[in-house]
Amino acid sequence: MILLLIVILTIILMLIGAPIFVVISGLALYLFCSSQIDLSAVIIEMHRMATTPILVAIPLFTFAGYLLSESGAPKRLIRLSNAILGWLPGGLSVIALITCAVFTALTGATGLTIIALGGILLPAMMRGKYPELFSLGLLTTSGTLGLLFPPSLPLIVYAIVAKVRIDQLFIAGILPGILLVVLLSAFCVIRSVRADVPKTRFQPGELINAIKEAIWELPLPVVVLGGIYSGYFAVSEAAAITAVYVLLVEMVIYRDIKFRELPEIMKRSMVLVGGVLIILGAAMGLTNYLIDAEIPMRLLDFFKTNIESRFLFLVVLNLFLLAVGCTMGIFSALVVVVPLLTPIGQAYGIDPIHLGIIFLTNLEIGASLPPLGINLFISSMRFERPVLNLYVASLPFIVILLLCLAIITYLPWLSLVLLK
Amino acid sequence: MNRWDQLDDIISKVEKTLVVFLLSLMILVAFLQIVLRNLFATGLSWGDVLVRYLVLWVGFIGATLATKEGKHITIEVFSRWVSGRGEIYLNAIAHLCSLCICSLLTYAAIKFINFEFQMKSTTFLGIPAWIFEFIIPLTFGLMTLRFALRFFKEIAKIMTPNSDPKLDKKL
Repeated sequence: MILLLIVILTIILMLIGAPIFVVISGLALYLFCSSQIDLSAVIIEMHRMATTPILVAIPLFTFAGYLLSESGAPKRLIRLSNAILGWLPGGLSVIALITCAVFTALTGATGLTIIALGGILLPAMMRGKYPELFSLGLLTTSGTLGLLFPPSLPLIVYAIVAKVRIDQLFIAGILPGILLVVLLSAFCVIRSVRADVPKTRFQPGELINAIKEAIWELPLPVVVLGGIYSGYFAVSEAAAITAVYVLLVEMVIYRDIKFRELPEIMKRSMVLVGGVLIILGAAMGLTNYLIDAEIPMRLLDFFKTNIESRFLFLVVLNLFLLAVGCTMGIFSALVVVVPLLTPIGQAYGIDPIHLGIIFLTNLEIGASLPPLGINLFISSMRFERPVLNLYVASLPFIVILLLCLAIITYLPWLSLVLLK
Repeated sequence: MNRWDQLDDIISKVEKTLVVFLLSLMILVAFLQIVLRNLFATGLSWGDVLVRYLVLWVGFIGATLATKEGKHITIEVFSRWVSGRGEIYLNAIAHLCSLCICSLLTYAAIKFINFEFQMKSTTFLGIPAWIFEFIIPLTFGLMTLRFALRFFKEIAKIMTPNSDPKLDKKL
């Protein structure tokens, strides 16, 4: 009874805007206290979490991502994709999708994409005579697109919480991530043809110039993935190499970022890292308590008696995760829900890596889902439009995303083929 | 009030400097390890452990800076529909609860350090572990202070009869 009251209080506290880490560690403190475990156990778990070897990847990748986003890299990326795809009907919308996806993968899917790129891409799309509602919907739902591409922060966090190998998860996310971008692009092209959006001509000269301009950034995917894929580098080593490479390229070769700007970028990226790490640490104590109390086992029993088929389980899982992604946001959902659900998924014979991809796709879509998806609110703030307007705008894109989700869920091959 | 704010600003400057220094050191040592391993088939025996503790430090200092800047990850469902005085009340409650929980965490962290101190656990090169772990109670203490500051600011807003927009600047 008291426990129920505490849980309700916790949820209310979360809803009125107390930091997630405070709420989670408050609950952990209460639970430890009530079962007569010393309070310092919460700190022991936090400490253990924060000094996990693999965690080194988080600050290094995040710093590299922030550095790239502050440099001229987004502009060069837009120019290059414009040179490659600009001639397509609806080329600009496809470019917007790709840029947002790359940007999100680099900066960790925390709403930065809409804020940073929205301001460039929306006016460009308006000038390109794209319908306004279409453009708004596209930029809103693109806010978390790219979450499945390495080295996105949610991928790393999932791997840590679910105790699966990061390198495998990195590779598993590539094809599903491409599927999302390709299907959305196809939709954009069809819509643009129907809306009679003017086209531009393909210019080989511009393509060569754009490649020349971005020549130092093009090897980045190889730096990030190549070493991991070949098994030559561990993920944390790849992160260190990425950070050094990006530092050299942006500060010495392009000179986009001045030396005196560096401390501010470092600080801002580490504020994000701190916010994520402390949630992870707080959740560690809670999770271990829940496992000791055999909550996942009880949940599993409940599932097993009520749902027999794997097919049905996946439907229920997806609906639940969409709701969680829409209300809780990506990081809180990851740390709270993943430890509870991974044993259940395994009991239904779902590959842990595939389960991770299903999980992250759901959270990605949930972030754009009315009524509470965070992307809608960030967009509303950034573009100064009423949220209701954005509900309508993002609807067609959500339909496409849900189609992708069904494919990703019921076609494990897509996530697992590159691993074999 | 003002004096506390000044103190807070000074602390956050120190924290920023520390973050910049520690992150640079982390990149340097992590990269050096890779170079040593691949080119010279050797490595610093304490390098990996040092990097891990640097993550701990950078992460916790980053988290206190997030408290200062109000950049912690939150859900905030109610405050989207509540505005004006209602929002101030909600914020005050949230800050008060955060303040209480952070002070409990500070207490737990001090117990943890005390325990490590008595155990005499060491890390690399014989350095006692508690020196590295001291950052945990320190940052939780700071977070407590910052939530207290923000709580009192909300209270000050409630105390003033009609919310004067100039007040925000003065505080």
